[in-house]
Amino acid sequence: MSDTEAPFRISISDNELESLKQKLALTRFPDELEDAGRDYGAPLADIQRLTNYWKDTYLSKWKEHEAKLNEDLPQFTRDIEVDGFGTLNIHYVHKKSTVVDAVPLLFVHGWPGSFLEARKILPLLVENSPEHPSFHVVAVSLPGYGFSEAPKKKGFGSTQYAEVGHKLMLALGYNEYVTQGGDWGALITRRIAQLYGPKHSKAWHTNMPLGEAPHPTRRPWLLLTYLLFKLSPKEKAGLERTQWFQEKGIGYFKEQSTQPQTLGYSLADSPVGLLGWIYEKLVNWTDEYPWTDDEVLTWISIYWFSRAGPAASVRIYYEVNNLTPEGFARNIETPIPVGHSYFPKELAILPRSWIKAANPTLVFESEHEGGGHFAAYERPEALVGDLRKMFGKGGPAFGVVPGKTGF
Amino acid sequence: MSDTEAPFRISIPDDELESLKQKLALTRFPDELEDAGRDYGAPLADIQRLTNHWKDTYLSKWREHEAKLNEDFPQFTRDIEVDGFGTLNIHYVHKKSTVVDAVPLLFVHGWPGSFLEARKILPLLVEDSPEHPSFHVVVVSLPGYGFSEAPKKKGFGVPQYAEIGHKLMLALGYNEYVTQGGDWGSLITRKIAQVYGPKHSKAWHTNTPIGEAPHPTRRPWLLLSYLLFTLSPKEKAGLERTKWFQEKGIGYFKEQSTQPQTLGYSLADSPVGLLGWIYEKLVNWTDEYPWTDDEVLTWISIYWFSRAGPAASVRIYYEVSNQSPEGFARNIETPIPLGHSYFPKELAVLPRSWIKASNPTLVFESEHEGGGHFAAHERPEGLVSDLRKMFGKGGPAFGVVPGKTGYVWLLMLPLEVYVDRLSQVLRIDSSWDSC
Repeated sequence: MSDTEAPFRISISDNELESLKQKLALTRFPDELEDAGRDYGAPLADIQRLTNYWKDTYLSKWKEHEAKLNEDLPQFTRDIEVDGFGTLNIHYVHKKSTVVDAVPLLFVHGWPGSFLEARKILPLLVENSPEHPSFHVVAVSLPGYGFSEAPKKKGFGSTQYAEVGHKLMLALGYNEYVTQGGDWGALITRRIAQLYGPKHSKAWHTNMPLGEAPHPTRRPWLLLTYLLFKLSPKEKAGLERTQWFQEKGIGYFKEQSTQPQTLGYSLADSPVGLLGWIYEKLVNWTDEYPWTDDEVLTWISIYWFSRAGPAASVRIYYEVNNLTPEGFARNIETPIPVGHSYFPKELAILPRSWIKAANPTLVFESEHEGGGHFAAYERPEALVGDLRKMFGKGGPAFGVVPGKTGF
Repeated sequence: MSDTEAPFRISIPDDELESLKQKLALTRFPDELEDAGRDYGAPLADIQRLTNHWKDTYLSKWREHEAKLNEDFPQFTRDIEVDGFGTLNIHYVHKKSTVVDAVPLLFVHGWPGSFLEARKILPLLVEDSPEHPSFHVVVVSLPGYGFSEAPKKKGFGVPQYAEIGHKLMLALGYNEYVTQGGDWGSLITRKIAQVYGPKHSKAWHTNTPIGEAPHPTRRPWLLLSYLLFTLSPKEKAGLERTKWFQEKGIGYFKEQSTQPQTLGYSLADSPVGLLGWIYEKLVNWTDEYPWTDDEVLTWISIYWFSRAGPAASVRIYYEVSNQSPEGFARNIETPIPLGHSYFPKELAVLPRSWIKASNPTLVFESEHEGGGHFAAHERPEGLVSDLRKMFGKGGPAFGVVPGKTGYVWLLMLPLEVYVDRLSQVLRIDSSWDSC
């Protein structure tokens, strides 16, 4: 297979910038109920402020933001062939450590994430030090996200996303590697572990751990312990958080997994609509992360200016749901070592016993006092600290990639 | 309470028309997967065609559409006070029959409906005929819809919507009345029945009938019969339809009932976003109704140009869901006669036994071979015919509103009787002459 890698720099055309500015200038805002707070969705004052800033300030400084992105994230594109789906041109970040035998690591984002989520962990992961392992980092833009092409056919599911991630690592010369992922990235790196481990995928880490709830026939002894023993206060709080998400935070999921095209018209056409749809999650899913307006708008702009458009990014919900009628907590075991980081404002926080029962190859756990769903962005030192412990000398996954210990 | 009624004509300002046109011209469309059909949502080809028609043709003819709407719908506004929410200026259609003693009927729409849904049934309902009853029709625009103000405070739920409908009827001089509703209109007219019946609300009819499913403790015998006897093919198809809606058609409901403001930014700002969001339902919820582009765009334009904006219209899902944690199939009995029309492409199509078990005051049922959720728009003759049977002579709700039977009182007796008596009178007269 010929090497189709080409260096890539984000370079949004003046046309597109002007077009966005025109749309922003024509924004029609809704009203809001008195004292709505965040109960009804993203607050109007925030959205108005962000929209005006986007139109009046942020976009005129776009070239600076763009330059900084290109500086922080060395990017490339290459063609990857996916069985049954033809060739997709894939965008990715690739940064090697100066440590030759650094551990090759594939970082996989989710929705509404992107390659941008790796911005803060990238320098920490590649950093050279005798105190901790170093990593060669690949942050793939999933098909339909960032500057990757989107699939054109129906049925592109977790198997296909896994195939893209795996083939990318092989193409970059990493025959053996480890992975890190949250949100869809967790599902996809799990799939990589199941399909390509232990031969290629040697160990994986996630900040979105899952387990199966106690069940009378499938997990009877877990049900018994659940009924007999009390949950700790943290576990109770965790289940309440989980319940909040399942009841109040699930609307986007239901729409995206059933009528993604319908929603897509809004996300593609309305900058403020896209902003509201994503910003609500940036706030609700994080642990009081102090978002700056620039941070939010860079995050949203990646979606607005994405190669495939924002509507393509939500189809993963439809495809994976259709292909996974039994739900996401079944068939989750992997044949390779797995590490978990637990953050208190994640969206599904289950009792530790449930998680351990469903993950027999769990070798590393780390609990944090703060942080939420976008761990790499909110708590970069903590997440990298966990990876260093897991893969470092004396860690449970030290040397999983033969000859690439990270030192 | 002073009469604040004022006549109303839809008259969208030029700058709003221009603004919409500008936005349409800047539309950025998404792509679509190959062979997506309708599986992933509203199809791109439809949305593109409708968007271009809206921009290039429909809007330049808006004044004609507007004039026709104003001609078909005699509209008014008046202030209605709602306990705890202050005064809301309410928009409504009011058309009286020439039959003085017509039955006063309040028609209540839902989402994504509007007063527009009454367009075809209005002339049929008020029509004067000895063959069937006539109605004085009031079509309210719910707060946040059409040209009604929206509430500003949190917590405006079913009791408040019911209060609006009831107070409007009283304000129009209809102390006693009947109601018809589907979608939210069904829930609201049920509430009107519960709160204001039988004193004011005398009978009600819905095309969105519901019932509680069999339950081991609450409805044990229903569960038993469900387990013992098989469902008919129609009932099976109905449950499949219901299942489709609960699994594939429920996304909008979940978002609107949990994060309506988040969704509202899209609906308020993007004409194509609003079009896609609603058009998907106009197609999926109807029974192969042959929508014309003009019909669709009029429907959507009412939302786009609504007084409160489209974002306000979806808050009802949040408020009512919050106030009804037990769901919508409990506490549904009413103290007044009830009529049902069953359309096969409604969104919840339950076995008849479940429905009957939950609705002890059911006096009228009518099943149709075709038609869906927007019955008044899709099957106007079918729906009106049901109302005529229910409220007409010999019907189970005939004369529920005392003194307002829906007929000219003279015509209460067969016509021959009058002809006969009149001829007798004439013969007597002429006999005087010959004396």
